[in-house]
Amino acid sequence: MKHNYKSIARCLSLCGTLAGLLLPATASADDAVVVPPLEERLQLCAGCHNPDGNSIIPENPKLSGLNAKYLNRQLKDFKSGDRASPIMSSIIPMVDESEFKALAAYFSEQKRTAGVSEKPDLAVLGKQIYDEGIIGSAVPACSGCHNEDGSGTDKYPRLTGQHSLYVSSQLTNFKSGERKNDPKAVMQTVAKRMSEAEIQAVSEYIVTLKEAE
Amino acid sequence: MKTLLSICVALLLPLQATVVVAADAQPPKVFGKKGYFWDEMTPERAAVLRGGGDPVKGKESFRGCQGCHKADAAGVREGVYPRLTGQHASVLIKQITEIRAGIRSNPKMLPFVEDPAIAMEEIGDIAAYLATLTSVRENGKGAEDMSARGKKLFTDNKCFECHGKNGEGNAAKSFPVVASQHYGYLLREMKWIKQGVRGNSNPDMVKAIAKFSQGDLEAVADYLSRLPDYRTVATPVASK
Ligand code: HEC
Ligand code: HEC
Ligand code: HEC
Ligand code: HEC
Repeated sequence: MKHNYKSIARCLSLCGTLAGLLLPATASADDAVVVPPLEERLQLCAGCHNPDGNSIIPENPKLSGLNAKYLNRQLKDFKSGDRASPIMSSIIPMVDESEFKALAAYFSEQKRTAGVSEKPDLAVLGKQIYDEGIIGSAVPACSGCHNEDGSGTDKYPRLTGQHSLYVSSQLTNFKSGERKNDPKAVMQTVAKRMSEAEIQAVSEYIVTLKEAE
Repeated sequence: MKTLLSICVALLLPLQATVVVAADAQPPKVFGKKGYFWDEMTPERAAVLRGGGDPVKGKESFRGCQGCHKADAAGVREGVYPRLTGQHASVLIKQITEIRAGIRSNPKMLPFVEDPAIAMEEIGDIAAYLATLTSVRENGKGAEDMSARGKKLFTDNKCFECHGKNGEGNAAKSFPVVASQHYGYLLREMKWIKQGVRGNSNPDMVKAIAKFSQGDLEAVADYLSRLPDYRTVATPVASK
């Protein structure tokens, strides 16, 4: 009995591995990458994320002040296909892995700007979820891991002032399993326990978070 | 034939759980099932107890817990999330490792405490960190003071033989502290132990509590919730 389950599981993980091997292989078939100086490379990112990483387009995340290790890992995951994104996965083949460290270091050193909520009435419920969690559905408080002001740590990314549209899209992707590169899958567990309305509310609160000077 | 049947049932029942926990894991031996032995030392618990812990690392690891148990580990007043401060490290380690092993069922918490969310080495660190904390927020009590009735039940049924006269438990024997825990949590756990559904129930406690009515359980829960933190017996816990 158990063997059947095991072999199914093996087969599934093998399929997954194969798919994982095939996808990025086709995406990065063109291997002859010329590595430009950092300033030049940053121009590519600036178009969508702004020169200082404080993107003004709500679909594109602010990269400013994100932990360098976190940024580096996201870039690697875009490259390997572990994190799917139609837009970033069309950009990342142009960038060589050897550039990731400097790009990550650059954006981690930029100062995060404040954001504004367009639906401040939602932010009230959002604050409650962020600070207290949702006891009925066992959603832990976001502040527990990401800090009260959203500043995060090396393990938990900065959320302070992040665009609400980006935050809600990530939560939706964690919920559906479309984004599954979170170590230990804790963010997927958190998001799976949330309703769409709760996701919207907490996203409207996160964009208003500010850090003490 | 009968044995064959029961083997089949035993194999079938835990199948789903087995697949979820780990492909190779044996089904956990839980209270009420054949082969259950209350204080069976799992290899993981033994390793954690041997390994000790580093409170500085534990503070970092505890981040993944404080979203529910709160930064001061006081849990929530309604008792959905228990207070972890003041609990013996040996008990914390027993509970965490048995939850990870599926012996004590806790689906709300499991994804945040199972491997790899928490590595084995982090368990001892967290227990060491919790030993440095004191909860300042007041714990949840029963709606009305039933402590006189509760105290009598606690004494007459010799609950103190394991949990201590001040509800201080027994670190060496892994008997939990029950003083100044949230009322809601105490009541729920006693019910689950009485009903035999808390996977790691102590069989002698199940006997001691077998005849308790709902009112008795409420009275004891209320009494224990009103006992001061055993570490500060002289000075009751400050309120917020
Ligand atoms: C055409 C627009 C575009 C360009 C150019 C672009 N990005 Fe992105 N980037 C996005 C979008 C959209 C996302 C959100 C992806 C998602 O939905 O998961 C993103 C996400 C990211 C993330 C993940 C951030 C997080 O908080 O997890 C990083 C890191 C990143 N980009 C780095 C870069 C770097 C470095 C460059 C330049 C080499 C760059 N991007 C160029 C649009 C762009
Ligand atoms: C147990 C710890 C934990 C809790 C609680 C938690 N998170 Fe996270 N969160 C993480 C981790 C770890 C990541 C990083 C995933 C990665 O590295 O890919 C993350 C990532 C995120 C991201 C993606 C950030 C980005 O830049 O792409 C968002 C958005 C987020 N969390 C929102 C929330 C919200 C909202 C809550 C509360 C409802 C919450 N988190 C609660 C651990 C946690
Ligand atoms: C999603 C919320 C949640 C998170 C996150 C969480 N717990 Fe829990 N925890 C609970 C609940 C609910 C209970 C009570 C379960 C029950 O009633 O049996 C509990 C019980 C416990 C107990 C048993 C206490 C006792 O007196 O027997 C311990 C120990 C514990 N948690 C430790 C931790 C640690 C350590 C972490 C972090 C690695 C953690 N918890 C993360 C919800 C959570
Ligand atoms: C033979 C020893 C013993 C006796 C007698 C005993 N208990 Fe327990 N009790 C335990 C143990 C051991 C546990 C925890 C189960 C485990 O190992 O995980 C427990 C758990 C509890 C808990 C839940 C605590 C928590 O943090 O989860 C409560 C409340 C409790 N007992 C109350 C009582 C009451 C009331 C009585 C008397 C009617 C009683 N016990 C008698 C050993 C005992």
